[in-house]
Amino acid sequence: MKKRTAFAAFRWLLWLWLAAVIVGAFAYAPLAAKFIGQSSRILFFHVPMAWAAFIAFIAAGVSSLRYLFGNRPRRDPRHDRAARAAIELGLLFGLLATVTGAVWSRIMWGAWWNWDPRQTSIVMALIFNGAYLALRDAVEDAEKRARLAAAYAALGLVVTPFFFFVVPRITFSLHPEPVINASGQVDMNPRMLQVLLASGAGFTALFFWLHDLRTRVLAVADQALEAAAAGAPRAGIVGAWGSAPPHITEPGTAADPATASQRTSN
Amino acid sequence: MFAKEWRSELRTRYALNTLALFAVNTLVVVSASLGPLGAAPGRSSETLPVLLWLILLFAAAAGLPRAFVHEEETQTATALRLAATPSALFCGKLAYALTLLAALEALVAPLFLAVMNLDVARPGLLAATLAAGGFGLAAGSTLVAAIIAQARGKGTLFAVLSFPVLLPLLLLAVELTRGAFAGGGSQGQGGQGGAGVVLMQLLLYDGAVTTAGLMLFPVVWNP
Amino acid sequence: MPPALSFTQVRRRFGRLAVLGGVSASVAAGEVLLVTGRNGSGKSTLLCCLAGLLAPDSGTIDYSEDGAPMDAAARRRRIGLVAPDLAFYGELTAAENLAFFCRLRGIGRERGDELLRRLELPPDRPAAALSSGMRQRLRWAWALLHRPRLLLLDEPFQNLDAAGVAIVRRLLAEHLAPSPAGGGPSAPAPPGLAVVANPVPLEIGSVAATLDLGA
Repeated sequence: MKKRTAFAAFRWLLWLWLAAVIVGAFAYAPLAAKFIGQSSRILFFHVPMAWAAFIAFIAAGVSSLRYLFGNRPRRDPRHDRAARAAIELGLLFGLLATVTGAVWSRIMWGAWWNWDPRQTSIVMALIFNGAYLALRDAVEDAEKRARLAAAYAALGLVVTPFFFFVVPRITFSLHPEPVINASGQVDMNPRMLQVLLASGAGFTALFFWLHDLRTRVLAVADQALEAAAAGAPRAGIVGAWGSAPPHITEPGTAADPATASQRTSN
Repeated sequence: MFAKEWRSELRTRYALNTLALFAVNTLVVVSASLGPLGAAPGRSSETLPVLLWLILLFAAAAGLPRAFVHEEETQTATALRLAATPSALFCGKLAYALTLLAALEALVAPLFLAVMNLDVARPGLLAATLAAGGFGLAAGSTLVAAIIAQARGKGTLFAVLSFPVLLPLLLLAVELTRGAFAGGGSQGQGGQGGAGVVLMQLLLYDGAVTTAGLMLFPVVWNP
Repeated sequence: MPPALSFTQVRRRFGRLAVLGGVSASVAAGEVLLVTGRNGSGKSTLLCCLAGLLAPDSGTIDYSEDGAPMDAAARRRRIGLVAPDLAFYGELTAAENLAFFCRLRGIGRERGDELLRRLELPPDRPAAALSSGMRQRLRWAWALLHRPRLLLLDEPFQNLDAAGVAIVRRLLAEHLAPSPAGGGPSAPAPPGLAVVANPVPLEIGSVAATLDLGA
């Protein structure tokens, strides 16, 4: 199947790319002047992770809006799955970004945490994502769950810009943060910039690939549920991370028991 | 809608009592444990605004969700879904929340100032902050209340969901309140136009959340 | 044009439980569709879908008045529903409840008072203090406030005494075949339609079709 080989090829390319980024981060790029020891290496991962978390947040908001206001009268559950996957990944990347940031902060200034505006905003994003998932857990009916969660994500999208305007104004910390502004002045060594941008691209691709995987897993789970409701034997598929996605039939068609066993063997 | 809310409310007096008791209770706990901070006026103008807004936030979380949760629990929500347009319903509930919060602020703010022995350098700014902040608090809480009313675990879920949404409002309101207590240019502004700019941002937040509420409520309320 | 209702292959599941598995029927003006089935067969779920309170997972629901099709949002406002879990504000009296809903719907409160009298409801007792039979009458009054063309009735005679049943039967008959008001200049309203759900078949008259979900 052409689609399968395309996916496999993309996967290999992604791994190679990220491997190159890792090597480049440690071997190719020089150390930054103001940083202690090797700690500037963390920059190449910490910033793209935060960037990926940001993309995830936007993706979740957009998907939620598409779910709510697109395709009436029957809303398309794919957008809801996409939103949920994005939120979960946003939580993952955000957590990674927070941890790497805290490690860096500890090395540089001796403190794990000091309420730097960026730290605060990433934490707020994490809390938002967690709240979204908590809301999903609290609603039993599938349609209601999707609708309420999407509304909350949309609300989050509306409120988030205020974090970026408001939080930097409120200066809790006493000393300014020498955070490298990768989008502003390019006062960075060109090699460092190359690795940083490459890493950013890699993490973005990673996000979209993981997002695709996760939405497929969710789709299969939904399909199994519908098959169970329709009385057909369950296809018995619970997808695992990293496995190649099985061929998915559109939800709504009854799961065919005859091909179910073929599907599980992928 | 609004009139009905108040008529029901006055018959049962549930929310008013709860809110008032909660707020006063919290106030007492806070002031008793802090002691008179008049000894360190410089520090107090930093931390006390936070406490004031926390009291308001928690009292709102205790009293406002009831607007929707009660409807769902007593099953009057079905009748409302069939009889009322969503925008009328939302506006009615919002108006109710606003007046409730206004009453709460009218009770808490003077008590707070009295108990903490605070002098207010800029009372106009304080009043404006309470008004704008209270509005945002009511608007955000009303929408989140509508969401959690249809879910389980209502009390804690409301706190979990509303906290991230209301945080920008809190930060802005606290900043302004600091300015109102301390007088002059508020600290940390660095001469960037001071309180006026921050107030504008707060009002912008109010507008954004209210608009989001009006647009999202129909989707939350009906399938 | 008279109102008409039809639905095809309506499905609804809750989690893993398929409550409605593809039901279809149609009702024309002046007719009653009777939906029967044992408890848990999905009668109430079907009525909720028809009322626009629940979105079906698949299938279509077509309702039109005066030739104009109505989506779920329009249906919600136009239909009249009597259902066991419909509740009103306990702190308010029956009269106040009806007046409130009249205000919400933008009609004069005389309609509420008229139905109050018709159904012989005590006006000044708080709704929480009403007997179950009186509560059922209040539900009927509420459902008819805005003169709906489509009535969705879930166990409509529940808790009613013989007198209550008689009143309600007459109301239903008037709904299905309205007669012109004596000497009035306006044309009579088009006949309404009704979907009635009950565990066992009811003697209602004008039953055009019976849909049995109880298999």
